[in-house]
Amino acid sequence: MSEFFKNFLAPTNTVYTMWIIIAALAIFGFICTRKFKDVPGPLQNVAEMAVGSLMNFFEEVLGPKRTRQYFPVLATFFVFIVVCNYCGLLPGAGEYFTVPTSVLAVTAALAVIAFFTIHTTGVMAKGVWGYIKSFLTLMLPISLLELVTRPLSLALRLYGNIYGEERVTETFYGIFPVILPIVMNVLSLLFCLIQAMIFSMLLAVFIAEATETEEE
Amino acid sequence: MDLVYGLIAIAAALAIGLSTIGVGIGQGIAASKALESMARQPEMKGKLQTTMILAMGIMEALAIYGLLIAFIILGKMP
Repeated sequence: MSEFFKNFLAPTNTVYTMWIIIAALAIFGFICTRKFKDVPGPLQNVAEMAVGSLMNFFEEVLGPKRTRQYFPVLATFFVFIVVCNYCGLLPGAGEYFTVPTSVLAVTAALAVIAFFTIHTTGVMAKGVWGYIKSFLTLMLPISLLELVTRPLSLALRLYGNIYGEERVTETFYGIFPVILPIVMNVLSLLFCLIQAMIFSMLLAVFIAEATETEEE
Repeated sequence: MDLVYGLIAIAAALAIGLSTIGVGIGQGIAASKALESMARQPEMKGKLQTTMILAMGIMEALAIYGLLIAFIILGKMP
């Protein structure tokens, strides 16, 4: 038991990788937004383009007003997941550091945050009683079941895709180490982006459903 | 003992193989419908492509569940 508490909350390889990613993102954000100019420089241009295209992406689901309201949490999820996924393409991934999203604990933590985000936004938009009342329909058993299955599938989808990708690349490396892994790497250039898109898009859909009020 | 190895290998192969069949059919239908509507309305191409890729990713998760189960089963190899 004492062994358990000694290692309790001890940072692992994954946590170090995530710290580096968080620091890199924070520094990037700080440098990009330190002084805004009317004619943007290259870095500011990149940041503005990212924010603009992400906003367009979420506006299809949430509409302009709610997109502005919930944009920070959705964009944070997207950017963090996409950088975590892409760091698997760096040399030494799996050997010297672990890709954070290929560990079930990380994706499960992201799903738990998503779970509380959905219900907090729902309660904030409708009030406590109003939000509970939105569950009391004929579909009550299914919506109660969805409380559990939604975060579970969010976590498993991200974890399974990235972990599977890593394992397949590893197997390809074992078969023929020269050209074959590159094929999988090129494919994962696409898949990593799609997984981050799916996670944040599904979260946006769930938030849209939870915060739906009559006047909209 | 040899039988156990064989059974585990067959179980893992079935887990990923069977789960891929349904996903393959589903993705084929999604792609064909998306192409059809793109040909009919080329101005909607960008929007349709994004939606199609998202839907395909969600379908792909089902195959990935099978892959995970296959890895778990292979991990039970004595």
